[in-house]
Amino acid sequence: MSDALYSKPRIVARVAPPLNVRLWRLLGVALALAFLAYLPFVLAHRSAFGFRLTNAELLNLGLSQINLMMIAMLGALSLNYLTGCAGLISIGHAAFYATGAMTAAIVGTQWGWPFPLALAAAAVTGALVGIIAGLPSLRVRGLYFVLSTLAVHHVVIFVFLEYQFRYFDVVGVPYDPPRLGSYALNTSMRWYFFLLPVVALVYWGFKNSLGTREGRAMRAMRDHELAATAAGVDVRVLRLKAFAFSSAIASMAGALQAYFMSNVTSEAFGLDFAIQFIAMIIIGGLGSLGGSLVGAAIWLLAPSIISGLAPQGGDASGWMGTLLVEHKPQLVQAAFGVLIILLLIFAPGGVAGLGRKLKAMLSPQRAR
Amino acid sequence: MSEWVSSTSRPRATVAAFALALAAALGLSGAPASAQEVPEDGVYKDHIDWGILMDLSGPTSSSQGPWVTGFQDYMRKVNEAGGISGRKVNVLAEDNRFNAAADKIAFEKLSNQTPVIAISGMGTSASQVALAPTIKSGPLPVVGTYTPTKALSEPVSPMVYNGFCGYKQMAQAGVGFYVDQLKLKAPKVMTVAIETAGGRDYANFVAESAAKYGGTASAVTMKVTAVDVTPQVQEIMAQKPDFITIYGVENTSILTMKALAQYGLNIPAFGITYLGTPSVYQALGPQAGGNYTFISCFTPGGSDQSPGNVEMSAYADKVGHTTLKPNINYVAGWVTGQMAAEALAKTGAEASRAKLVETLAPGFTVDSKGLSAPIVYTKDDHTGPQILKMFGYDYGANKFKAFGEYGDYGKYTK
Amino acid sequence: MLAQVVFSGLALGSIYGLVALGFAVVFKATEVFNFAQGMLAVCGAYFAATAISIFGWPFPLAIAFMAVAAIALGVAIHVLLIQPLAGRSMLAVIMVTIALSIVLRAVIEMIYGPQGRTLVTPLPNGVITLGSLRISELHLTAALVSWACMAIFAAFFRFTSVGLLMRATADSHEAAVVSGVNVNTMNRLAWGIGSLLAAIGGLFLGQLQIVSTDLESIGLLALPAVVIGGLQSIPGAVVGGLLVGLIEQVSASYISPKSTDIVIYTLLLLILLVRPWGLFGQRELGRV
Repeated sequence: MSDALYSKPRIVARVAPPLNVRLWRLLGVALALAFLAYLPFVLAHRSAFGFRLTNAELLNLGLSQINLMMIAMLGALSLNYLTGCAGLISIGHAAFYATGAMTAAIVGTQWGWPFPLALAAAAVTGALVGIIAGLPSLRVRGLYFVLSTLAVHHVVIFVFLEYQFRYFDVVGVPYDPPRLGSYALNTSMRWYFFLLPVVALVYWGFKNSLGTREGRAMRAMRDHELAATAAGVDVRVLRLKAFAFSSAIASMAGALQAYFMSNVTSEAFGLDFAIQFIAMIIIGGLGSLGGSLVGAAIWLLAPSIISGLAPQGGDASGWMGTLLVEHKPQLVQAAFGVLIILLLIFAPGGVAGLGRKLKAMLSPQRAR
Repeated sequence: MSEWVSSTSRPRATVAAFALALAAALGLSGAPASAQEVPEDGVYKDHIDWGILMDLSGPTSSSQGPWVTGFQDYMRKVNEAGGISGRKVNVLAEDNRFNAAADKIAFEKLSNQTPVIAISGMGTSASQVALAPTIKSGPLPVVGTYTPTKALSEPVSPMVYNGFCGYKQMAQAGVGFYVDQLKLKAPKVMTVAIETAGGRDYANFVAESAAKYGGTASAVTMKVTAVDVTPQVQEIMAQKPDFITIYGVENTSILTMKALAQYGLNIPAFGITYLGTPSVYQALGPQAGGNYTFISCFTPGGSDQSPGNVEMSAYADKVGHTTLKPNINYVAGWVTGQMAAEALAKTGAEASRAKLVETLAPGFTVDSKGLSAPIVYTKDDHTGPQILKMFGYDYGANKFKAFGEYGDYGKYTK
Repeated sequence: MLAQVVFSGLALGSIYGLVALGFAVVFKATEVFNFAQGMLAVCGAYFAATAISIFGWPFPLAIAFMAVAAIALGVAIHVLLIQPLAGRSMLAVIMVTIALSIVLRAVIEMIYGPQGRTLVTPLPNGVITLGSLRISELHLTAALVSWACMAIFAAFFRFTSVGLLMRATADSHEAAVVSGVNVNTMNRLAWGIGSLLAAIGGLFLGQLQIVSTDLESIGLLALPAVVIGGLQSIPGAVVGGLLVGLIEQVSASYISPKSTDIVIYTLLLLILLVRPWGLFGQRELGRV
């Protein structure tokens, strides 16, 4: 299945780049870290280096938004691992989020386990449910497998709904305020500095896994299953392992989301929630982990940015005014949908693909 | 955020105080005394920002959208007449697409990104529960909710004021009305509800009310996206209730009433307030809609000649919202707009979040001049509209009709 | 009582079958799983509502308008969205249909507002009584029309030369191209038909309930029907629709209304594990 969407294999053996290139890279990393560390302060206090910034200058973004984006990044990374790298298309991601939320509710709210243990429990349960959800893949492929994940989604959400009604108040499942030991995660800033290393760790975890022999076998399985089997890859075990790893992370992300929101209902994990992860990985580029991060950022932040750019047209007259005032949310949604369509048609590799093209344009001498 | 208040508001407050003193000394009492600015509360020299958090493009936008339009229209009317204390009211409406995560983001935006003096609406119950601790600890008050939840309303907080009748009151008034109307000794009530949290709540309230009159209640559920309700109607035929109450979306009422007509069941039914819209009655037609009423704390526009109704209808016609004015959600938004405007007027020229809360906490009354019963808030009671009336539709005259006056219904909800 | 439930299940299933048929036609021709099928039904309902209530045209003219508009919409979607994505992965195409439904929903709400609209048609609203059975005339009409559509299209695909060409193209694009068939035209025709079928379904749904963007959910409700019947099989979609309608009503009556989703999706899972090509589909053979 040679498809421009998937990333090309990397050249493993390479020569160490010259010193000045390494220094530039180091500077880049340092700048990025500094930016990431200062960002929450800018967003929380709405000012940078003492200069007050307007909402428009800050792109209409807030710290909670960034935190939710980071939790979504975990979902995008895990789905891309499953779909882009192991080739298993799944609409069931919301189900794993729900699994994590439910596990966290059982062990955290009902049994009183501390927050880190609840996260671990969510990951373990997620892995188990993932293996079960992956079982149909041993029998069917492609579109039929997608539909089986849809069926799994409905079953899991039904279970969550029953759980919500039976054990908790009607308006949702509550979660205790999370704390790491004695450090309480009660402000957006604290959540930010907690989530940032988590996302980084997960990213590196997936990246390393793809660099191992098994990771390469997974990508071989994705590209041409029969050839991979002929080469000695145990496709069935590999598929289930991919599912387990991916669902564990998604489940943990679900638990994080639940604790962050402090109250979740089953409606939060509907089909549109699952579909948004697919959108994220397509925008970012299938098979590219870095792309998933960008895709998650675009999906979570773009509506706010678009909404912030469109003026609060209280004074605009005529149909333009009506459009901006009465139908602004619809306008934002429509613009968003059109953006996705344009991206899909004109940028098949997603943002990662565009990035690769850009790199190829800028450094024509570099051999690939 | 708190650093800003302490470091910049004091010099500003001194300047404002000096300006006011000067103005008073010069006898310029008629000039707008709005030199005071509190940007972090959304208060500026010439306008105040007021926030709305509702579902404008998601699954419940067909009812929440008109509410927002009603609110915006009232504020437009106020602005056209010169504003409040010399400031225009700028309504910032945030769309949450019925998504709790989007609500959290939007709430933060209205708190300190594009700060507002207060918020109205909050139409998603799950978000109310999630944000309840943050709201109750201040400083942003919620003045006029679209739907009340226990988490936010109990215990009574000076930061929260409900702006719509609750399911408990709907159940009490509705059941009470029919028990009296049909002169029932041991009423048998049936609730048709969608399978959601609110539906279960409502069914419980109905059961409580029925028990109060020595009767019984049962419930049957259906999917929000249902297309056919034969199984539910079979259940109704088996139970033979005296009357039915419906909870859900417009579809729920339409399907249920049409099915009742199809099976020739002549059972009166009443829907919750949100289900009393013109589109439901039009879709039902006189045959199926004849038995259908709804319990509501607001009066549909154009249905009577009370001063508030006439004023609202005239303005709606003027801005081209004639089709929206009989929609109960539009009326609710309009009345909440009135509540917000009166609260601001009462707070005066030196407006801020704290001052607004100070003004509202001891209690106040909103007299919508016939669009609802007088809404009374006391120090210990922020329930909001508590008196509901039963309405039906007169297909002949093509408008809503009321069964009695609000005063007759006080006894049901005490 | 069982008879009543069975009848309503069959009536409901006929509407599902209609929508499922639209799915199947599009999938068979272009291998696209159209997540926007529900939204196309909504568009059809709105076309009808516009012609009847806003333009004020008589019913037959309004239906003709709806049919033409629906076909045009289907063709436009293929030209603008599906054709540029030819050869791309299934995920990309699924995503474009999802994005399409987002855009369609937003545009409809911008033009018509989020309020529901009543569809005023001369379709019968009464009840027929057969003994203890009470059958809604509207349900019966919907079922009859659905059956008529299915019969017409079955005949079309089997007996007309165009239909035969479409089936041939669906089976093998390369062979069709080699034979001088304009594959794009065939595909556009398929999308036009799929959209028309969805529109008819939307018309009946709008009459049964109210015309609003919430009708979109019919798309996902018809999904199990297509799978159970067989994604590539036209009669399969029909039978699948009837089955799903029946199961839904029976489980709602005898188990509980909220159990319908789980019953149907568990059945779906079972079919996918045991006989993934559906009841009527053909087993696909893979080539190395």
